[in-house]
Formats: sequence, C-alpha cells, structure tokens
Amino acid sequence: MSAKNTFKTAELMKEIMKKYNETGLRAKEEGRPVAWVTAVFPVELIYAAGLFPYYPENFGAVAAARKVAHELSAAAEGRGYASDLCGYARCGIGDAYSEEHPVGKILEPDLLFCCNTQCGSLPKWFEVASRLYDAPYFLLDSPRVGLETDHLCIEYFIEQLHEMIKFIEKQTGETFDYDRLTEVLSLSSEACRLWNEILDTAALKPAPFGFFDACFHMAPIVTLRGTQAAVDYYRALKEEIDERIEKGITAIPEERHKIYFDHIPCWPKLRWFSELFASRGALVVASQYTHSWAYSFDLDRPLESLAENYTHEFVNRCFEYRVNRKISFMNKYDVDGFVLFSNRSCKPNAFGLYAKSKLIREKTGLPGAVFEADMADLRLFSEDQVLAKLEPFFEQLK
Amino acid sequence: MLHAAGFFPYGIVGGSTNLEEANAHLQAWACSHSRSSLARALEGGLDFLDGLIIPHTCDTMRMLLDLWAQIHPLPYMENFRLPRQVNRSSARRYLLGELTRIKEGLEEYRGAPIKNEELIRSIELYNQNRKMLRKLNNLHSRYPGLFSSRQLYTVINASMIMPREEVNRLLQVSLEQLEEKENKEAKNGHMPLLMSGTLLEPFEVLDYIEEFGGTVVADDFQNGYRYIEADVSTAEDPLEALAERQLNRIPSAAFDVEYNPRRHFLTGMAKEKKATGAILLHLTFCEPENFDGYDNLKAMQAEGFPAIRIESQFGGTGLGQARTRIHAFMEMIGGGSR
Repeated sequence: MSAKNTFKTAELMKEIMKKYNETGLRAKEEGRPVAWVTAVFPVELIYAAGLFPYYPENFGAVAAARKVAHELSAAAEGRGYASDLCGYARCGIGDAYSEEHPVGKILEPDLLFCCNTQCGSLPKWFEVASRLYDAPYFLLDSPRVGLETDHLCIEYFIEQLHEMIKFIEKQTGETFDYDRLTEVLSLSSEACRLWNEILDTAALKPAPFGFFDACFHMAPIVTLRGTQAAVDYYRALKEEIDERIEKGITAIPEERHKIYFDHIPCWPKLRWFSELFASRGALVVASQYTHSWAYSFDLDRPLESLAENYTHEFVNRCFEYRVNRKISFMNKYDVDGFVLFSNRSCKPNAFGLYAKSKLIREKTGLPGAVFEADMADLRLFSEDQVLAKLEPFFEQLK
Repeated sequence: MLHAAGFFPYGIVGGSTNLEEANAHLQAWACSHSRSSLARALEGGLDFLDGLIIPHTCDTMRMLLDLWAQIHPLPYMENFRLPRQVNRSSARRYLLGELTRIKEGLEEYRGAPIKNEELIRSIELYNQNRKMLRKLNNLHSRYPGLFSSRQLYTVINASMIMPREEVNRLLQVSLEQLEEKENKEAKNGHMPLLMSGTLLEPFEVLDYIEEFGGTVVADDFQNGYRYIEADVSTAEDPLEALAERQLNRIPSAAFDVEYNPRRHFLTGMAKEKKATGAILLHLTFCEPENFDGYDNLKAMQAEGFPAIRIESQFGGTGLGQARTRIHAFMEMIGGGSR
C-alpha cells in the first residue's frame, strides 16, 4: 500500500464498514440477535437467518493495527491468559474485563458460532466468551482434510449444518428461509469472484495491487460476503484498479521483484513491512491468507456446497497440500522469493513452517526466509531480529 | 484396535530433555510435551516404533504428525481426527466413520482384517486394566497411607507403555496384597486435594504435595483419571462401543461437554471426594488448558475450595518455584510438613 497512492475506494470502505458497525449497534438496541462468527465460517447462513454477524477476530485485528493489542491484553493476562495465546483472543477477553476500550467496546454476543477449520484457539476463546456473556455457543466442527476430497468430513459438516439451522430456528423462533440462503450464496460467490479477480492483478508486471493493499481492502470480503454491499464494493475497487492499469499507476514505484508471503500480516507493522519491501523494489503479491475467501457455491446444492467450500479451506489441509498450494501461487504469480511469517499467535500456521520452507526451497530453487513475530502484539516484535532474517533474503533476490 | 490388530500400543508422554535438534523444527513456544516427544524420536529414543498415531486434541497435535513425517518418517503414520464436539448426534456418526477409516488403514498395514472377536478380546483386556486401576485409585483416595500419589500415577502411566497382559497380572497381585494390609488408616492430618490439567507432569509435584501433607484424591488428567474412568461396552458392535466411550468421557480442555461443563464437573468431583483444595496444573504453552484455567479457578473458589494454578513443563524446569508455591498453598489450607 503506497501512502501517496491511496485508493479512492478506501473512502467507500470506511463508509460501508461504518455502516456495518452501526447496524451491529442498532441490532443490539432493537433486540436482533448479534451472532459472533469466525472468519472462515459459513456466514451465509447467518445472513440468511437475519442475524447480525460480528467478527471478534476483526476486533483483534483493529486493536493490533492501532498498536494497542498489548494494552487490551493486560486485563486478560492479569487473569492468567498467557501472553503466548492468540493475540486476537487476548484482545477480546481483555476488552471484556477492561474499563478502558481504546478501540471501542467489543460487541457482546447473543449467540456464538465458531468453525474450527482455522484453529483450535477460536473455539476455546468462544467457549470463554460463551461463559462470560452467558450466551449459547455452537461449534461447527471440521476435521482436518488431507490431499484428496474428504467425503467423511463433508458429510459430517452437512449434518452439522442441519443441526445448526435447527439451533438457529430454536433461538430465533423463526423458520429458516432457504430461498433467502440461495440469494445470499449468490452474492457471496460474486463477491469472492470479484475479490479473486482483484488479487489476480498482482500478477501483472508491474502490478497495480499487492498483498498489503489486499490486507487493507479485505474487511468487506471477510465481514460482508453474502451482502450486496460487498459486491458493490469490490466492483468499485475492480473498476479503480482497471483504471490504474490503464493509467500505468503501480502498487510500488519500481517493481523489480515479486514476493510470496505467508500468512496473516503483522498488523501493527503493516506499513513498516510494506515500505521495507517497496524500498527493495519488491512487491508482495500473494498470500494464502488473502486468498482464503475464494468460495464458489452451487446454488442447487446449498448446504453441500457450503460444506465442500468451508471444510476444504487451505488452513484445514495437510502439510503436503499446503506446500503444493504455496508453490502453485508462487508459479502463478511468478515470484522471485518467499517470506514465511512464524506467527506466535497462530500455531496451525507456524508449526511446520521451517520444514515447509526447506521443502519449498528444494522444490522451487527460490530464496526464502522465515521470521518470528506476532500478528498483534508488539512486545513480540523485534525490528532487528526481523531484519536479520530479511536482509540476507533481499540480498539473494536477483 | 491396535492391540486387536496384533500391534503393541505404546503411549508417548514426552521423554527427552535434549531439545536442541527438535528446536530447529518446532518453535520453542510449542508445549514441552510435543517438543520432548519429538526430541526423543530425533535422538533415536523411539526407534522401536513401526508407526505413530496422533489424536487431534489441540492445534499442536493437529500439526505434529505431518511435521514428524517430514523429519522422522515411520512406516505407518496416521492422524486420529477426533470430533471436537461430542454433544450432537452428528459426532457419533462421524466418529464411527473415522474409526472405520483407521481400522481399514491398520488392516491394510497388517495385511489382514481385524476381526470382531479380536476387538472384543482386546476391549475386555483394556476394561480389566482400567477396572483394576480404578480400584487402585479408590484405595489411594480412601487410604492415603497405603501408597503415595506418585506411586498411583506411576502405575497408571506404566499401563500406557507396558504390555497390558503383564500390567494386569502385576496389578492383580498388588491389589490382593494391598487389600490384605491391616493398617489402612488415613494418614493423620493429610489433606485430600483435587488436581486438574491436561497432562500430569512432572511427577515431582506429587512429591511436593506429599511432602507438605497432601494427597491427590481426584484428578482429570489425560494420564490420570481421564485415562481410566470409563470402559468400553462389550455388548454392542465393537466400533460403536469404542465411539460411545470416546463421546461419553469426562470433560477436558480439549472436549468440553455441554451437559457437563468442565468447571462444574471439577467442583462436583471435589465435593464428592471431599477435597480441601485444588491445584490446577497448567502445562506451559498448553492452549486449551490455558483458556479454561481462569474460569476453573473461579468456579473452585466460588464453591469454597481454595485453589491455585501452577505452571509445569516436561523436563523438570521450574521445579523449585513449583515446590515453593505448593508449600505456601498447603500452609494456607492448613496442612504442613510431616
């Protein structure tokens, strides 16, 4: 994200996210249930049921980006939630116990829905929150999937979607509207299609858009997929990017290298990283993270299609699948090297990363680096240590 | 299932303190259980294994098998993808499918089907083992003077690594001898305690509890009571019975149970066993346990049980601090050194 080249669509995002937050507050006032959900969750069902989906992970990411994660964590850490737990979870739990709310108060849930494709931290955090706010909790369980399509897992997930719909009906007292679900799925597919078209433009040489831009523009695909607002937003962004391509406006001034990056960015240092890479003529072009929201639903088989998409998400896949997928991104975007972030907050992404790095280097011959830090907590970030890993990496770029 | 297939099931609970080589592969903020287990494999301490199955109880376990397969492969490696919710009917159907998948994989590796009679014979052997361990556990909580808490948990843990036939034979002899003992009186002034956590380790904490006048009479450790509390029915289809047991086990950090939340289960157990306090053991970097810790502590205290949380690690680091804290706690609840 170039500071001088801010997208004008960014203003539109601020507007729609403001509207989204206001809707949440209004839902509380009007007694419409606020449902906590996780980022990789079939939120389409929540929208179809007319509940307001709230993303406590986003709350954590916002706190992280505003560099206050460690302050919010204090109230959680004082109660024994250790500083090695997921930074988002510490922000959420900390906020619940805090008098001060530097990024506003987390929206309290009436219901909690969690899917564990991403990790096991989210279910534990949601269990804590369910006790804290005395609100019913539903876990959508997705066993890990290997290289092949896993029918056992899909069938289990479909059965749970039926259980979840019954749970929602019981909580709301209203019959679930499958026609509405079809509409929501169609909007979600369209937003995902546009989002991935946008991400693809990073392959152009030079590119108008990169990973750090994607981090900035991803809020609607996480939060609002399934609504018209997300579709409209990404249409506008795509138009602006097309315009930039025409005018020759690029993401960074002199793009000499393309870099693959995993996974979540280091939020409080987003600008620092983006400027560091840009100063070396390196554009970070792709990450599995921003490509997570690439769903495509079959409207004739809504629940089956939801199960297929969400259980087979990359975060829920085996070592080999994830290495292959990283390499396929590296090929698609024709990168010159890769940087992997061993994120203290995210064990499922960090554990095995050194073996993955070695294997990718062997298979592709590309230079790569692994650095240690945290996506949220600045106390776990050392500029010197990160540079000590990245400087030799930059040296290797031809 | 492994026993029925003719394999020797060996439970890995850590084992190495030389973590240097493991640290190159697994970050230092992974729990010491995973690191010391992997380290043990890397230094050749597990070379007798033909295979490895890792159950998905947390993110670390979920990631460990694939990493292990990369750096120290074994002929047979498999994930046991446990359902993480155990309350709804979907969990049962799925678990049965997963058990069937694992059974078929074992049959392929073995080169012959696992017969129902074989499964039932093994289930009976394991039930017998657990039944005797429960008896031992009851004797310990009723007559703390008979043998120490450390001895109890040493026997339970031995059951994970010794041939069950042999363990059962030894247990039978020991139980007979213990029951014949005349002096089964409780130790004077010994304080009955509840312990809770993922894994009970290191066993030195049991020595400290004993030293300052305590006896562990209840726990929910995976290498403690949770391991022995429930049997597998022999009256139904063996796989269904195995699934049934898994779904009905007592709650833990990895599997909370909606109708029996862990914190209420713990306070209930403390009441039933007349515990005078609780020590919650948090294996450093164990995420599931950490997320439960505060609410468990509060629940204990709300029910009038003095309770503390203590951090522990495989390999015995930080033992001095654990001893000091246990000492202070025991003094607070009215115990003292013998």
